Amino acid sequence: MSDVQQDTEARRLAEDARERAKFEEEVLQLADQVYRVARRLVSSREEAEDLVQETYARAFRSWRSYTPGTNLRAWVFRILTNLNIDRGRREQRAPATEPLEEGDYFLYNRLEEDGGAAGEERVVERLSQDGIVRALSAVPHDFRDVIVLVDIGDFTYQEAAQILDIPVGTVMSRLHRGRRVLKQELAETAVEN
Amino acid sequence: MAMFADPCQKCEEMLQPYLDRDLSEEERFEAETHLNSCSYCRKRYRFEESLRRYVRQAVTEPMPAELKERLASLRTPL
Repeated sequence: MSDVQQDTEARRLAEDARERAKFEEEVLQLADQVYRVARRLVSSREEAEDLVQETYARAFRSWRSYTPGTNLRAWVFRILTNLNIDRGRREQRAPATEPLEEGDYFLYNRLEEDGGAAGEERVVERLSQDGIVRALSAVPHDFRDVIVLVDIGDFTYQEAAQILDIPVGTVMSRLHRGRRVLKQELAETAVEN
Repeated sequence: MAMFADPCQKCEEMLQPYLDRDLSEEERFEAETHLNSCSYCRKRYRFEESLRRYVRQAVTEPMPAELKERLASLRTPL
């Protein structure tokens, strides 16, 4: 290899290292959001920590498959949700499609019945924190994944569809149904007497 | 959207898409017109907004500091 070629190669390697460091820095800045979502996709803190760590190891390893300028957050969360599926942490079954008996006003009606009239802010305070965590974890995975991405992770419908590799219409229907299922679970597990 | 004889039932169906800003202009106008005159639905819409915030706060756990350190240690050495 000539001196010129060696020089070109050295510059290319240095540029590569800089790009990689920048990429890793940007991915690390997402860590709080990744943990927040991971914690609710799986049932225990230990599992969530393992999942996040594996996600980062894979993201750093496969950095070349990320196209600069595209949605980095969606790219990282896609790794997270795929790993979660690969590790068999979720049952692969079709979500129930039978109609729900209760609509969206159900939880408020239940809380109002139990505790009498109060401001809407006060009514919500009848739900216990532990109960909310239990209720969310009782929501079937297919619905919970979408609720966690959209309502906890702040992803748009389109981003959630991209991450989970499902159509946007499916994201919306699972989200609407999942929120209703969550309200039913909340009515059963989270209402403080 | 399905036909509803009861305007409150229709408003209930619009609750989630309304809060997600996923209604057409016309549907949003219809929901807001009903909400302006119906305290029953208004209360339930406000509750839903509070509920979303409340659930989000309740299920959010701070990331353990040592996990953050472990992730940083996975970086490629320069």
